Amino acid sequence: MLEVTNVRRAFGSVQAVDGVSFSINRGATFGLLGPNGAGKTTTMRMLLGIFQPDSGSVTWDGKAVDNVTRRRFGYLPEERGLYGKMKVRDQIIYFGRLHGMTDPEVGQRADAWLQSLEINEYAQRPTSELSKGNQQKVQVACAAVHDPELLILDEPFSGLDPINADILLANLRALQARGTTLVLSSHQLWQIESLCTEFCIIAKGRNRANGTLTELRRDWPTRVVRVEPKSAALQAVLAATAGAHERANANGSLLFDVPADLELPDLLRRLVGAGDVTAFERMEPSLQDIYLRAIGETV
Amino acid sequence: MNVIPIVFQAEFMRRIKSRSYIIATVAVMLGISVLAFLPGLLANQFSSSTRGIVLVGPTNITSRAKALLAKDYDIVATYPTLTEAPSNAYLDKNKKATAVAVLERGTRGLKVTAYARDVTLFRGSFGRDLVPLNVALATNLPSAQIDPLLTVNVDVKSLDSKFHDETAANIAKGIAYGFVLVLYMSILINAQNVMTSVAEEKTNRIAELLVAAIPPSQLLFGKILAAGATGFIQIGLWVGTGIALAPVAFKSFADDSTTKAAGASALATNLPDQLGPAVIGAFLLFFVLGFIQYATMFAAAASLVNRTEDLGSLAAPLYTPVIAGFFVAQIALQFPNANGVVVTSMLPLLSPFVMFTRMTVATVPIWQIALSIAVNLVSSYLIVVAAGKIYRIGLLMYGKAPKFSQVLATLRA
Repeated sequence: MLEVTNVRRAFGSVQAVDGVSFSINRGATFGLLGPNGAGKTTTMRMLLGIFQPDSGSVTWDGKAVDNVTRRRFGYLPEERGLYGKMKVRDQIIYFGRLHGMTDPEVGQRADAWLQSLEINEYAQRPTSELSKGNQQKVQVACAAVHDPELLILDEPFSGLDPINADILLANLRALQARGTTLVLSSHQLWQIESLCTEFCIIAKGRNRANGTLTELRRDWPTRVVRVEPKSAALQAVLAATAGAHERANANGSLLFDVPADLELPDLLRRLVGAGDVTAFERMEPSLQDIYLRAIGETV
Repeated sequence: MNVIPIVFQAEFMRRIKSRSYIIATVAVMLGISVLAFLPGLLANQFSSSTRGIVLVGPTNITSRAKALLAKDYDIVATYPTLTEAPSNAYLDKNKKATAVAVLERGTRGLKVTAYARDVTLFRGSFGRDLVPLNVALATNLPSAQIDPLLTVNVDVKSLDSKFHDETAANIAKGIAYGFVLVLYMSILINAQNVMTSVAEEKTNRIAELLVAAIPPSQLLFGKILAAGATGFIQIGLWVGTGIALAPVAFKSFADDSTTKAAGASALATNLPDQLGPAVIGAFLLFFVLGFIQYATMFAAAASLVNRTEDLGSLAAPLYTPVIAGFFVAQIALQFPNANGVVVTSMLPLLSPFVMFTRMTVATVPIWQIALSIAVNLVSSYLIVVAAGKIYRIGLLMYGKAPKFSQVLATLRA
């Protein structure tokens, strides 16, 4: 288990991370979310031991992350970089060896990653000759070739076209299936929502929300109710409900935020009493709704 | 697990295959070869026209003068009288000679009037070669009596037991100069390579991936070891070229045939003695010490830049001690025990150049050598520790360049 306890890190007068805490179970896929400048990259660097926290602690299986431990981790930084003149396969092997792998296993693992990321045709080409998307896939292979216990991926999907994003997603699911603990940061929330099992949302260096999607939804104060048809009688019933607020852009339906603890059977009875109801749906908040609210933006 | 060998291997292969390394190594080897061969080639190419002289005068004078001048000049013709006014056309008719020299008995010995395309031809050995004839004409003594008196044999007894004669001392100076030049170039080129490599890794962001996997200190040390190894190969090739071509160079630069013959012979005799294990050992030791200090400083500095274009301005102050060390070493060739030179040979960064020079050209007290090595070992350690701190932080510092106060704060951390 990765345990992050109240970590803080400042750069000069800037407090980049100010008391972030979360824990990640082995084999979980964890989404670390936050707007630009929230402190995600600094937090990730502290997980890897690149930066030491000014205070607080980071432990893996109860022990501080040291040089030996972090060689069992993998990292894909947000800013991509590779040796331009080095051949693709050599590059992956080099990083495998830095992470403690030896011949011939490292060569076999490199070939397997080249195959699964569909870049084996570029194996003997200098990296600089590859497209940006393919270079990104090479970097993913460099980060994961040693089959890390914990793989941290900062914006892994940025710059990838939909086909390459799907290839990467399939590889990440394969890592999930093998029990690799994944930490992902991405602004493409729909991908994160489909992949991650646990989340932490941070803003201005502080925790804003933690937990599984179910837990985050449980704490959400409202639910959305969609009702059809969009008639004046039904709209009047919804508007008269305590704590209800109509949403804009309903596309021919009535969309209302209602308190999470509202008795829906009672609401439905009142709606049916007021007129014909052809659709009645209670919608859970999306990860994006929760994220925007957590970082202080209105939903 | 120690990953220095893995970093070393990858860095070494990248460096040794890099175009800039191959070009620099071959270019300097070619430069050494050109320096050795070019003067000789040029001399051969132009000797007939640049050293050709027509002698005019009484036969008894020109015949003796011809014999005296023959070793340094090409006497293309002798005439008893000047049949036409000297001109370029007259010289062209006489095998494209460079000058005509009219010799006659003067009131105080030999009188020479020369008409030359190249007035510099009559500097140096021309007048010296004719001294016996001058004395003979002035005193009317026979040559057999004059010649032995024109050479004074000085039996030099060296107070410094390091060299048995002047030739050996001069060869030692030549060796010291050559090795210091190689040290200077190798440190500059390879430390610069480390600097470029660090800056590239930082600016193309691969540094973050590397330090996520391995400790920055091992990354830095692996890089410096690889650069040092490629530096050793370069030095081996350059020194080998220099030693192989040294006799050729000596012949090319000697200004007369006697010196050439004697010099080449002396070089063949003395070079193996002078290039003993002590000189080679001192050179390797001071190369390693100097290289570690400069390479780590250059690497730390490079970790602070965000654009490779900024390397130039950052490198300028770092070059200063390298250049200063090289120049003080030139002074040390002549004055190895001057106070300033002795003090400089104890200072970090400068002493690899200066102490090595002193050790090669003079007898240096053991305590001074030991002190210099100790100072360099301590300063190497301190520089490595300080540079390692800056490198570790600087490598991940993006955005605006750090202030000097931030660098100091990093060092105190």
